[in-house]
Amino acid sequence: MAVTSEVEKRSASKAPGVNGAEDPGKGQSERERLRMMMLIRRFEEKTEQAYKTPRKLPDGSVAQLIGGFCHLYSGQEAIAVGIAAVFNKGFDALVNGYRCHGHSLALGMDPRAAIAELFGKETGCSKGKGGSMHLFQAEVGNHGGHGIVGGHIPLGLGMAFAQSYKKTGGVTYCLFGDGAINQGTFNEALNMASLLKVPAIFIVENNGVAMGTQVERHSAEKDLAKRGCGFNMPHYHVDGNDVDVVMEEMKKAGDRARRGEGPCYISADTFRFRGHSTSDPLKYRTKEEAEKAKLRDPITLYETRLREKGLLSDEQQTALEEGVAEEVNRAFEMAEADPNPPLDSRFDDALSETYPYQPK
Amino acid sequence: MPVIQLRQALREAMSEEMDRDENVFLMGEEVAQYNGAYKVSEGMLEKYGPRRIIDTPISEAGFSGLGVGAACMGLRPIIEFMSWSFTWVCMDQIVNNAANVRYMSGGQYKVPIVFRGGNGIAHQLAATHSHRMESVYARIPGLIVVAPSTPAEAKGLLKSSIRCDDPVIFLENEKMLNEMGEVPDPKDGDFTLPLGIANVERPGKDVTIVSYGRALARVVRPAVEHLANDHGIDAEVIDLRTLRPLDTTTVINSVKKTNRCVIVDEDWGYCGMGSGILFKLQKPLFDYLDAPIEYVHSDEIPVPYNHYLEEAMLPSVDRIVASVKEACYR
Ligand SMILES: Cc1ncc(C[n+]2csc(CCOP(=O)(O)OP(=O)(O)O)c2C)c(N)n1
Ligand SMILES: [Mg+2]
Repeated sequence: MAVTSEVEKRSASKAPGVNGAEDPGKGQSERERLRMMMLIRRFEEKTEQAYKTPRKLPDGSVAQLIGGFCHLYSGQEAIAVGIAAVFNKGFDALVNGYRCHGHSLALGMDPRAAIAELFGKETGCSKGKGGSMHLFQAEVGNHGGHGIVGGHIPLGLGMAFAQSYKKTGGVTYCLFGDGAINQGTFNEALNMASLLKVPAIFIVENNGVAMGTQVERHSAEKDLAKRGCGFNMPHYHVDGNDVDVVMEEMKKAGDRARRGEGPCYISADTFRFRGHSTSDPLKYRTKEEAEKAKLRDPITLYETRLREKGLLSDEQQTALEEGVAEEVNRAFEMAEADPNPPLDSRFDDALSETYPYQPK
Repeated sequence: MPVIQLRQALREAMSEEMDRDENVFLMGEEVAQYNGAYKVSEGMLEKYGPRRIIDTPISEAGFSGLGVGAACMGLRPIIEFMSWSFTWVCMDQIVNNAANVRYMSGGQYKVPIVFRGGNGIAHQLAATHSHRMESVYARIPGLIVVAPSTPAEAKGLLKSSIRCDDPVIFLENEKMLNEMGEVPDPKDGDFTLPLGIANVERPGKDVTIVSYGRALARVVRPAVEHLANDHGIDAEVIDLRTLRPLDTTTVINSVKKTNRCVIVDEDWGYCGMGSGILFKLQKPLFDYLDAPIEYVHSDEIPVPYNHYLEEAMLPSVDRIVASVKEACYR
């Protein structure tokens, strides 16, 4: 499989040890990627549980910890983690739709800040003003979290434009779902990105369905890579369940964009394990379909590969699983105890300036 | 003071700000090689080059959203719309992205962007091209809405808008671009006007007329002369300049003195700009008013193409005079 970073090149050239036991450092970055996929999965499982379990308050009333819409990332982890593995923090930008828990964690968001945002707490990454669909951590290049299907694609274009205007050397990863490519913004943004030759990588996370409408019913062209035709930019297809493949392709696309060769469009095939949102009972999916998808679970696939390469022992796997469970549990406990934002804070952050405004 | 066209005032404002700050750029349909659909950006491509004066395809959502993304990353885009009427197709970018991203990220972004272009009726363009968009945008928290009524205001307010760290909706009018007016000479220093402050452009004692932009220039000013000369009514005229945030203090102080108020705009009345202004005035002024507040607005119909029908639907000098007399019980 794709060997990308220097560290990996060096480790790959050594003979594999027995279950990675010889050299504890060996396979560390691989196991870190596995850990992150596990963390996202665990986070989403716990989120679904919290969403569906109202809490009894001391005064006897019942409170919903998580409100609104909540879209889980389970099954798609390899895409966010693969991108994060090649993401150049401090330079690169990432912008996504509302299914944004996965990329936020993968780009290093403290799970407590993420779950606190879902709880609407003051300690949430967006101070309780964004919720599940609007997770932001601008300082690491995580630019959301956007609720309107396809609405953020031009933002990704603009971020890449800024990177090229300022010659920062950064690139923008702009992610969206298969349903979003039917929005006009997809056409407008990809066309302009190519004309302006900005360093943007457009990635459709093709999980086969837009809410309850399968790709076959929403896209006249079933091969979504082909929807990238007509923009005079490379467009291809990758296995979005294989974190190594995602990494390799994102690295290539990123390097190309960094060299000033312009944008590209990648269709990454994956599968959404859970319903569209936590309130979706998944009535439109057959058992066979779900069973088949389980065989391509990105986490199991990667575990198997790491074992085969001797980079993951039983003990290591158990330690990773227990580690993420503990981390997620702790984050949820802390976030639940965190305060709601003060009511007056609702007036904050609408504007940057105070008015009347007189420039200096 | 030099007397220049409003169009040139806009160009001077953009050019001076581009000279001042490398992060300012201008983008829109036909702004570069064509020199601007209405020649506002004439010569700017030659002066600043294609990196900073950028032509776009006809993709309002694409380039307005590009501007918002670039602003989030620290640039200061000026996005020109050929007409504000065309922003119905990209409203999501302006409302959900420009206006909301700071708030829903808990204050993680500044969005220093100016969207500008011609607003309102520009003579015989019919219903699709004649929208008055002020009330659409002035009701959105997170946006600043500005409407100049003279060349000097166009320059001073646009320069402030470009420097402002919030998204500004800058409403020009195609039919005003040729208007001439005195604008301070750049040699005499940097000329800016504050955002969020209305201007009492004519003091008067009998009635307060509140207006802005094209309606003020086209019909309010002539009507006021008429009222003074032919009806003995001394009107105080307030040019709002900024529609959001609204400078209610200046309006309220004026009406406390005159006890009568007439609002004039070219919007539709119901849920129109003037209705929003009325909402801000009726309670604080209840005890000071000697008559109900009058609101002169366009007829509530799509804008017709025919010259006479179009004229007939708009506020006119006669309608203003009649409403002022009504408010003054004359
Ligand atoms: C403009 C708009 N229309 C409709 C919706 C409601 N909606 C939210 S997600 C969604 C399905 C999108 O599917 P897809 O783009 O494939 O992304 P996925 O949910 O599979 O990640 C719909 C219809 C919306 N948020 N925005
Ligand atoms: Mg989908």
